[in-house]
Order: sequence, then structure tokens, then C-alpha cells
Amino acid sequence: MIEFCDVSFSYAGDENVDGVKNINLKIKDGECVLLCGESGCGKTTVTRLVNGLIPHFYGGNLIGSVKYDGRQVSDIPLYDTAMTTGSVFQNPGTQFFNTDTDSELAFGCENLGFGKEEIKRRVESTVKEMKLEPLLGKSIFNLSGGEKQKIACGSVNALLPKVMVLDEPSSNLDVASISDLRNIIMNWKKQGKTIIVAEHRLYYLVDVADRIVYMKDGIIKGEFTSEELINMPNEKRRKMGLRRPTFRLEKKMDYEISGQGKKLVLKDFCFSYRKKQEALNIPSAEFSTGHVIAVIGRNGAGKSTFARCVCGLEKRSGILDFGGKKLGTGDRLKTCYMVMQDTGHQLFTESVLDEVLLSMEKEDEKEALLILERLDLKEYIDRHPQSLSGGQKQRLAIASALAAKKEIFVFDEPTSGLDFKHMEEVAAILRELKEKGKTIFVITHDIELIESCCTDVLQLEAGRIADQYPLDEMGEQKLFDFFSNRKQEKK
Amino acid sequence: MQREFMSREGQIKGLILDPRTKLLLILMISVFVLGGAGGLKLFILRPILSFIPFVMLVTSGRVGQGMLYALAYSTCYFAQIVLLPEMTGMGSAFILIMSGAFCRFLPGFVTAYFFVSTTTVSEFMAAMERMHIPDKITIPLSVVFRFTPTVMEEANAIGDAMKMRGIGIFGRKRKKLFEYRIIPMITCSAKIGDNLSQAALTRGLGAPVKRTNICNIGFGFWDAVIICICILVVVWSIAYM
Amino acid sequence: MDMNVTQAEAGRLGGKDLITIGVYTVIYIVIISVFGALGFIPIFIPLTAVFCPLVGGIPFMLYLTKTKKFGMITIMGTLIGVIMFVMGMGYWIAIVGFISGLIADLVMKAGNYSSAKLSVLACGFFSMWDFGNLMPFFVGREAYLATLEENYGAEYVANLSSYMPMWMMPVLLAATFIFGILGGLLGRAMCKKHFERAGIV
Repeated sequence: MIEFCDVSFSYAGDENVDGVKNINLKIKDGECVLLCGESGCGKTTVTRLVNGLIPHFYGGNLIGSVKYDGRQVSDIPLYDTAMTTGSVFQNPGTQFFNTDTDSELAFGCENLGFGKEEIKRRVESTVKEMKLEPLLGKSIFNLSGGEKQKIACGSVNALLPKVMVLDEPSSNLDVASISDLRNIIMNWKKQGKTIIVAEHRLYYLVDVADRIVYMKDGIIKGEFTSEELINMPNEKRRKMGLRRPTFRLEKKMDYEISGQGKKLVLKDFCFSYRKKQEALNIPSAEFSTGHVIAVIGRNGAGKSTFARCVCGLEKRSGILDFGGKKLGTGDRLKTCYMVMQDTGHQLFTESVLDEVLLSMEKEDEKEALLILERLDLKEYIDRHPQSLSGGQKQRLAIASALAAKKEIFVFDEPTSGLDFKHMEEVAAILRELKEKGKTIFVITHDIELIESCCTDVLQLEAGRIADQYPLDEMGEQKLFDFFSNRKQEKK
Repeated sequence: MQREFMSREGQIKGLILDPRTKLLLILMISVFVLGGAGGLKLFILRPILSFIPFVMLVTSGRVGQGMLYALAYSTCYFAQIVLLPEMTGMGSAFILIMSGAFCRFLPGFVTAYFFVSTTTVSEFMAAMERMHIPDKITIPLSVVFRFTPTVMEEANAIGDAMKMRGIGIFGRKRKKLFEYRIIPMITCSAKIGDNLSQAALTRGLGAPVKRTNICNIGFGFWDAVIICICILVVVWSIAYM
Repeated sequence: MDMNVTQAEAGRLGGKDLITIGVYTVIYIVIISVFGALGFIPIFIPLTAVFCPLVGGIPFMLYLTKTKKFGMITIMGTLIGVIMFVMGMGYWIAIVGFISGLIADLVMKAGNYSSAKLSVLACGFFSMWDFGNLMPFFVGREAYLATLEENYGAEYVANLSSYMPMWMMPVLLAATFIFGILGGLLGRAMCKKHFERAGIV
């Protein structure tokens, strides 16, 4: 049993990250608890208190006690906790120690000095149980996000812990990989493991979880059963900042389209990486300004290649004609802008204001402040860009693009790991860009985002356009079918 | 290169060598080819040693890279021997220095490349353990191998972002170029490093027990061949001195 | 009540420390190799003694904020030496890397790993690893030059010697130290300007 007794924690030296206050929580053996709430509500902190990262990795002020089977977690060194509690993290790419899958599966057992035969036995049974055979013997740099997350789960599983702690494990996964993740969690539950998941996406876990704990501002604000959450009125749920609890379409979209109707035409839009087969092959396609186009498709369908070619990051990729003017690589770099998945890569200066000024041909502070105000960043003008939260960084990246008078925007998974409120904010910004007559491409797996701001869908498959349709009623159904099919797809 | 960094996918066929043999080869090339040990009397030895990485590249299926290496090496080598007596002055000195430097650096560099693209982190750790290198060196060193491609990826992404904002040697803000490039790189890499630590620590890294390594490494026929060559080289050089 | 247990666990290097060493070694090497690549053009080799310590100061000063135990800096110096050796920079560097790391570690220890002035000094000593790259030009120089002379003729050797006369040795050694100190100051400024405010210190 895991027992939180009046636990409060605040992180040392970092006021931006929120701790927790007066947490009282008992989790019985074999229970599956889903922690939900807005970003910064403290759900991640709760997971860290269970797996011992607090206080052994994150220093700070800890009051109260967290006990596992009567022992204080803070008294047990991390390598002992590792035997009983397994952890899976948000970003699949950054939790690997090895570079090949086989060694990664054995990594935990090796660290704890188990015998060779024992390790082999455990790895083999994990592989069989989780159907990892196709992933064996691969380099982790060749795996998709979903495959990496599977290996991460497998590596933890080989330690046979009784408790599993998952911190936003679905953030960077597509629909099909999320289904796989769900199966893994279901399986663990069947084996009687105690499972604690902190998550924004609720739909895939709602019927797995025994209890759903809702947190806000570091405090446990309520507890629900799955039925209660599913039957909760949309209004109330949105106010709580929670994402949709079931996989469904919720509201009609608006098809409002603005802009002067400039055309963006692609011709012979092909590209292949060195020595690889063609990653992109679009004989011709046409888009209009003032549209938000959702770019969907499975892993490796060519979505990011498409984005890179549009933005001029790849040379010799065919013809891009914007409003009757052919744009070469250099012009594309000037006209287009990609908001990257990790926006930390595209912020260079030492303050939010400087970041916007940097983008301007002629530095104009007044204009910069106006842009920042519109994107809700005015109160942060002196902050260091890298210290902002994920959503704020994203908005700053957009602000800098607006300052540079960019016309075509490409967003790469802008809502991965965002809660409902922040997803809405992104959608609002996309709508605003659309109203300004910009052309926007959004690479995304997030059906809620598509629903709330996109006007068109571009579906890629093996580098080709599989389908392109406006999001009217028919389009809506098509989109929903696409995601439902992907959900059922077994990898 | 990133995709085959520290992986066994990088080598399916050809001479499968123990990591220790590869390290020995790097040592030999470093001492004799780069370091120039043995002086002029052993000059014939250098091309022989430099030939080994070529064989390894070609047999492991990297024919193109092998050919490129052979071409670059022999061009430089013959440039020194054939061309130079014909030329005088600064130009010749420059070419001489360049080709001399290439002949010295290239074999070691190629061997190092072969090492990192055909050895997994786990094999490397096993090899270090067999050589009784303490964990305090082995663990950070394997993090180095694991983390290098990640940092390079970060650096590339930042480079892309800079292009889209028109910052560059031929663009704007030349003075601050370096700062803009490395600050986000350090910040992002440090954060990723933290994640990596957490994931490793929650799986028991640093436990005060003897770490197991299930990786099977061991010497085979080709290891014996390479080791014999290395011994011959050492004996030869001692005999000459 | 400060519960920062790992930090307080005196002396022994834990898993977290070992990973930190690895991570910062990579960052350090990637950054200095931007300028280290200059060394492929032999005429610029002396310049690496200026640029590498200077830019290396930035990641190194950030690294120093993470080191609270004896050994971390020594190991980093050793690793840099070993990696440079593997990448084909000769064997001297492995030894020099270890020694300069050790000295820097001792300097930091004298200030209990918290003195700002001593960190800059430590950065100076640490940067002297770079001299290991230049050692082959001076140690065993006679034999090396003799080989070259047989091979390339006296003109070439005279040329090369004029690029790298013997008196350059102490100059370059001093340069790595002085520019290491300057790099340390630069690094400290960057820490204040960026890293502290970005919340990664």
C-alpha cells in the first residue's frame, strides 16, 4: 500500500514549478489510479514522490510522509526503490541509456546485479508477454516514438516491480501507439500491479482506472469514478481543464474561412533522404491562404519531410508557388516558419522582448509590445525565454514569427502534452492566424485540436497525398473514421 | 551517421571484432600512424596499418565509405611522394602539410568511426569491465557515447531554427551567432540529461552491487588475426630501434 | 528542512553524478570541436590554444555549479583526454587531461566547491588539457623533425619550425591557462545572463 500523509513539497530554487500541498492519499495494492488536472497542478510531483525522485533527485522542502508498505520512500535509496517501483516517463526519446533495444530491456536488471541466467529469463518473458519480438536487435535511433515507449515499458517490466508509475506516457504518441500503451497498462493491472498514471489524455484510461483523482494548484480537489467522469457535463469538465474522457467527436466545427484567397501551389514536390527511398512525392497540390490545414498520417508517412520542404529546410524539393510567385529555398525560409515540437530550439535571446525584436527587420519596440500583448506574454517581457513554460515558449515562437511577417506557418505537434486549457489556447491562436489570412499547416494526432480550429485535412501516406478534404460534415466523419481505424490498428 | 551510432544494426556481416580488439587497433594507429613512432625506418608500416580500417569498412558493407577512404588516403600519400619533389615554395609547403596531416589523422579517425558505429553501449561496457576499468569511468563514458548523437540532433534543430529566422554567417546578427547557437544547445541538452538521469536512476543505476552485463563478448578468429598483426608491428618496431 | 539527500551523501559519487559527468563532457566536446576543427589546418593549430579554452569556459562554468564532490572534474578531464586520444589526437592528451582535471578538482576542493573566484581559477587550470593536443610538436621534437627532414627536405622542416618554434611551448601553455581564465569569466557571465535565469543552474 502507498500512503501519503499530509505531504507538502516545494521545489528548491525554482518557483516556476509547482509543488503540492497537504496531500492525503491511500492507494491499495493492485489499484489503478489516474491523476488528472491542468499542467502545473502537481500530478507529476505526486508521481515523483512515489518513485523516490523526490527527494533523491529533486531537492526541496518536503513535509509529511510518503510510505510504501510502511517504509518511508525518502529513507530508501533510489536503487532499492527501483526493485519495487517502476517508472515510465513522458518523453520516449530521452529515457534510454543504451543505444540498442536488447541491452535496454536488460538495463535495470544489470544495474541491480541479477544473475545472467535470471536476467535472460526475465527479458525473454517480458518480450513474450509484451510482444516485443519485432523490436529486438534494433537501434533506438530507428524506432518511432510509440516503439520507444514500448521498449521503455518493457525495460521497467523486466524488473518485475509491484508498482508502476507513469508520468504523461502518451504525450508524444499517436493514436495507434496509445492503444498499445493501453493494452500494456491493462495487462499490468491484470497481473495485480499497483498503477499510478499522471495524464492529460483521459480517453484511453478511463475504463482502466479504478479511481480518478483530480488535482488543482497542488491540492487534491476531488475524486471520481469512470462513470462520473464520462457522464460529467462538457461545460463542467472543460472548466476543470480536462480533456475528453471518451473517443468521440463533440461539436460542429466552424468552417469560417478568411483571407484574400491567395493560392499556394505545390508541383513535383518530391524529396528523398540520402540512400533512402522517396520520403515525399506530391505531383501537385493546391491550398488557399486563410485555411488551417491539419496534416495527418501515421509515423513515417512523410509529415515532417513535408513540413521541412515547405519551410525551405531541404534543398531541391520541387516547386512551391505562392500567390503566383515561385519560392526558392531562400524565399521559403523568409516566408515560412515552423513552430517546432520543442520550441526551446528556436529561442535564442536573453529576454522575451529581445526575442521578438530579433525577428524584426527594423527593431520597433512598440510593435513588439503589441504583438506580445496579443499573445498574452506582456507580463513576461523581462523573463528568460528558456525559463517559460511549454505553452508560453510556443506563443513566444509564434510572436517572433509574426514580428518577422511570415505568411505560412507550420506547426509540428503543437499540443503534445498539453491539457485542455492550453490546447484551447493553441487553437485560439491558430484561429487568429487564420483570420489574419495566413496559411497554416498543423501536423497533429490531436483530434480535439483539429476539431476546434482546422478547416481542411491533408492525409499523407508513404509520402503521397492519400486524401485531401475540407472539414465539412462529411469530412468530419472521414476524419473520425481515420482516427478510429488507427486506434484499432495493431502494430 | 547518427542512425547507426553505437548500434549493432551497423554491422551485420564482415569481420565481427571484440570491442577490445577495436580499441587496440585505435591505440596502434594512434601510436604508429599518428604519433609516427619508429620514425622513417617504419614508413612502410604505416600504409599497412592504414589498410586495416579499409578492410573493415568494406567487409562490413560500407563499400562506398571504404572506397572514399582509400581514395583520400592514397591521394594524400602519393601527393607526398610523387608531387612534392616537383614543387617548391609556399604552395608546396602548404600542400605537403595538408596531405601529411591527412595521412596521419585519417586512419585513426576512420577506425574511431568504425568503432562507434559497430559497437553497442552495452558491448562497450562489457569490454571495459573485462579490462577492469572502474564504473566511475565506464558509466560516464557510456553516457558520452549515448548522448553525443542527441546533442548533435539538438544542434541541428537549432541550426534549422536559425535559418528560418535569417540568422547566420551570411544573415543577420553575426556578432551574436555563437551565443545564439550554443545557449539553447546547452540549455536543451542539460534538460535532456536530467531526464536521462531520472530514467537511469529509477532503474537502479548506481546501486552498490557489482553490475551484471549480459552482453557476450569474446575473441574470435579475426581478433586473433588483428592481434597477431599488432604484435608483429610492435616486435618489428622494437627490433629496428 | 532540506531533504536534498543525494547532494548530502558525502564523498561517494552516485549514479546521478556519473551521468552528469557524461552529459557535460559531451556538451563540452561538441562546443570546443567547433573551433577545434581549426586544428585540421596546421597553420591554425596555435590558435586552438586560444579559442578552445575561451569557449570551453561556458559549458565548464555551468558544469562547476553541478559539482559538489571530489572526483567529478578529474573524471571529466580524463574522459576528454581519452576521447581526444581515441579521435586521433595522440596519447599525450590522455595524461595531460587527467592532470589538469585533477588540479582543477583540487582548486575547487580548496574552496569547498562553492567559491566563485576559485571556480574561475579552476577553469584556467582545467583548460590546460588543450595543451596536450600540442605536445607532439615539442616533446620528442628532434626525432620528429629529423624524420620529416629525411622525408620532405630541409626547406619544409625550416618552414614548419618557423610556425612552431620551441619558444612557443611556454607561450602556448600560458595561453591555455590565461584564456582558460578568460573563458571562466565569460562562462560566469553567461551563467548569470542565461543559465541562472533559464533555471538550469
